[in-house]
Amino acid sequence: MSASAVLLCCWLGLALLSVATVLLGNAGATLLLAGGVLLAALGKAWLIADGFMELRHAPRLWRGLLLAWPLSMALATAAGVLLVQIGR
Amino acid sequence: MSTSLEGYASSRRLPGDLAMWFFILAELSLFAILIIAFGVTQVLRYEQFSASRQLLDTSTGLALTLSLLTSGLFAALALQQVRQTRQRRGALLLLAALLSASVYVWLKLSEYAHLAGQGLGLEHNTFFTLYWLLTGFHFLHVLLGVVILGWMAERCRRRAYTPGSHSGLESGVLYWHMVDLVWVLLFPLVYVLN
Repeated sequence: MSASAVLLCCWLGLALLSVATVLLGNAGATLLLAGGVLLAALGKAWLIADGFMELRHAPRLWRGLLLAWPLSMALATAAGVLLVQIGR
Repeated sequence: MSTSLEGYASSRRLPGDLAMWFFILAELSLFAILIIAFGVTQVLRYEQFSASRQLLDTSTGLALTLSLLTSGLFAALALQQVRQTRQRRGALLLLAALLSASVYVWLKLSEYAHLAGQGLGLEHNTFFTLYWLLTGFHFLHVLLGVVILGWMAERCRRRAYTPGSHSGLESGVLYWHMVDLVWVLLFPLVYVLN
């Protein structure tokens, strides 16, 4: 597959995950749905980092550093959602 | 300091300039502080956040997301074209990226005007204070990105980038993807998650 075709596939994945994010968000406010929304965000971050930013061919340290950011943000958000659910 | 020189790390290569990667890490750290502040405040005032979030239009958020992602695609494709000595196509793709980014700017300004018109400004409540700070800070990055895209399109048109020397283009495109990366986390946090 050519580099341009890979980029187009990444964009298609990103667009589908964005639509899925909205559909999951509109479906309700449960922990499962919130988890789905965060997983979609993580999938999008991975497509941008490895696809658009070409980090799949980069040194592991830099790839790890960049992928750690969306992962830590998603985990922090998930912890917040969990705390809200417990508080209710 | 370019890391695109041969022999840097055998087959593993970091695109762009190393300084840009440190800049990206610094920017992501700043956004992390804002995102955590938003998340913590949401835990403390979840009823207010839930009610305020209903006042935002998710479909506008989706349109903003798609315009940014499409712009990112065009920028990445432009880089591929320059690597294949097709600078003219690269310049056209960078212009397309600029156009798509302008759609984002227009949509965001319309949303800001709509919210401000409804009295949902910076001081309306804690949610909107953080909304304006977080999205406003990101919006400033988008504006800088638009300028960078325009600059790179012009340089590309003049064939300033070649397959052997395009580290500046890679760095600029990386910056633009960082703006995308931040948005894909902001979008669910601000518009979607309840």
